[in-house]
Amino acid sequence: MAALSLSASAGEALVLGLATGPVCLASCGPVVLPWMLVQPQGMRLHTRQLFLFLAARLAGYLVFATAVWLVGSSIPHAWTGRSWLFGGIEVLLAAGLVAYAAGWPRRRSTPAQPSSRLVQIGEAPRPLLSGALALGFLTGINLCPPFLVAGIRAAQLPHLSASLLFFLFFFAGTAVWFLPFLSLGFVRRTPAVVTVARMVAVLLACWYMFSGVSILIERAIYG
Amino acid sequence: MASRSSTLARPVAFRSVGRSILLTLPIALWSLLMFTPSFQHAGRDTHIGAVVVMLFMTGLFFLMMRTGETYRWRRIFFVALGFLFPFGFIAALVAERGTMSIPISRMVSGDTPFCFMVTPGIILPAAFAHTIIFPGSILPTASNPHSIAIMIGLWFALTLVLGKAWCSYACFFGGIEEGFAAIAKRRRLHRFIVRFGPRLRLVPWAILVFVVLGSAALFEPVYCMWLCPFKAVTEFPAVRNVETAIQMGIFVALFVGLVVVLPFLTKKRTQCGFFCPFGAFQSLFNKIHLFEIRFNREKCVDCTLCQTSCPTVALSAESIREGKTLLNCMKCGACVDACKKDAAVWHLKGTPVAVKPERARLLFLYGAWAMATMFGGSILANSVATMLHWLPWK
Repeated sequence: MAALSLSASAGEALVLGLATGPVCLASCGPVVLPWMLVQPQGMRLHTRQLFLFLAARLAGYLVFATAVWLVGSSIPHAWTGRSWLFGGIEVLLAAGLVAYAAGWPRRRSTPAQPSSRLVQIGEAPRPLLSGALALGFLTGINLCPPFLVAGIRAAQLPHLSASLLFFLFFFAGTAVWFLPFLSLGFVRRTPAVVTVARMVAVLLACWYMFSGVSILIERAIYG
Repeated sequence: MASRSSTLARPVAFRSVGRSILLTLPIALWSLLMFTPSFQHAGRDTHIGAVVVMLFMTGLFFLMMRTGETYRWRRIFFVALGFLFPFGFIAALVAERGTMSIPISRMVSGDTPFCFMVTPGIILPAAFAHTIIFPGSILPTASNPHSIAIMIGLWFALTLVLGKAWCSYACFFGGIEEGFAAIAKRRRLHRFIVRFGPRLRLVPWAILVFVVLGSAALFEPVYCMWLCPFKAVTEFPAVRNVETAIQMGIFVALFVGLVVVLPFLTKKRTQCGFFCPFGAFQSLFNKIHLFEIRFNREKCVDCTLCQTSCPTVALSAESIREGKTLLNCMKCGACVDACKKDAAVWHLKGTPVAVKPERARLLFLYGAWAMATMFGGSILANSVATMLHWLPWK
């Protein structure tokens, strides 16, 4: 009976993930697209990078699943986007995007890198695995509507393991929608493409910074 | 057809009067066809507006034919469109609701006029969620004739004919900065443009990607809500809290910076060349558009006059060496008119370069001017009628 309930719950999570995937895509896509376009061309590299990003995103999901299960069956209002925590996450996302746009940090062993100026036209920097992990984790714990729905459902489950499993399958459903990003590996990396990707990253960083700081200020003023 | 002088950009008389009139005849007839419906409406102001604009558009086309110059005469129309559109639009807003700001009730009921600038931003939400994120009506209503379907249909039809030339023959916003660019006698910040121009012309692409992704993520028309400089001279969300105050601040700063000050200083269309995401979107259609500007390398002396004259930095030394413009060329004709060696020529794709370029120019101009008359002409006629209506002695 318990196994049946578990599989029903997993199926529900998978369908929820598949159904709400486009919203996840719209929410995380703005981070993934410029970040991947800054990377050098190549399918193998992109596949590795995307899977690292998704793995980190899954880690974020599981952390969130644990947290919501520990909090209990209801998610407090403060969690739904007005918390200093989510303001902080958006500020960190902004910092991560700016770092990527600037081509920083770089590996010390890398020979002759191009300038780190934001609008530098030149070679793309070498891939940074830590960037995939950092951005993946931050987008993983950043609230979006489907994520919130999954969180509410997961919080009602009887065991922590069930909550984790629910998020695992929810993640699997949403991750399918990210696979088209692999096609970015085929996009030719002209200096213009890399420069535009960096500029987009800066614009998005400005947006996240504005949004994050607004949340923090609101929190500071209204509590 | 008289041959062009080798020392002047264009001789004073390029064609005979008779031949120019003959070539202008199709546009004159088209204008008549376009403005005939105006005479079915009552109101002397409307009639006068229609006649004035009909003569204006036909006259400018005649001068294009007579002198062989495109840019100078097109600019007169375009600047008039740029300055008169806000005039007519604001007058209509004030008459209807007494303010330029959009009341929240209008936004909630989706009763705001749709602007073509939003087109790229609504694509992803429409594809994924089957929802138009702009607060407007799909089909025309009594209170909102500028519906989404009509504007997108109009934009698509014009784009098929004009390609990126939309930006210099149809966009009613570009004329404002072209006007400010025309005021200054001296070109300032030239070194800045030469140095940073190649990077700055990539900014519209970045903003385009940002707007498309942001609109999908936030489910709102990001460009309209946050980035449109022309909100400052059309309509804008009513300022009612800190957020809308910030939005208004951005609109005004972008308008003053990119549409007034920088064009005046640089004599370039800085908003069009270095900011407008819709312009970048239109550039994609240059790939399929039939007409283009090419450079005859046998005649070119690399004087860079064409590069300096280009209002949107759509030429680079490399592109000229390859005999082409960059993707963001909006076919305004400035480079062709500036070239003293006749090396810059109009070209119809699929034909030999620099063979009968005037025929390519004519074919392009017939399409472009017909669209300009239909779209911009009706706006101009409406604005002229509004001005006449407001004359103090009436």
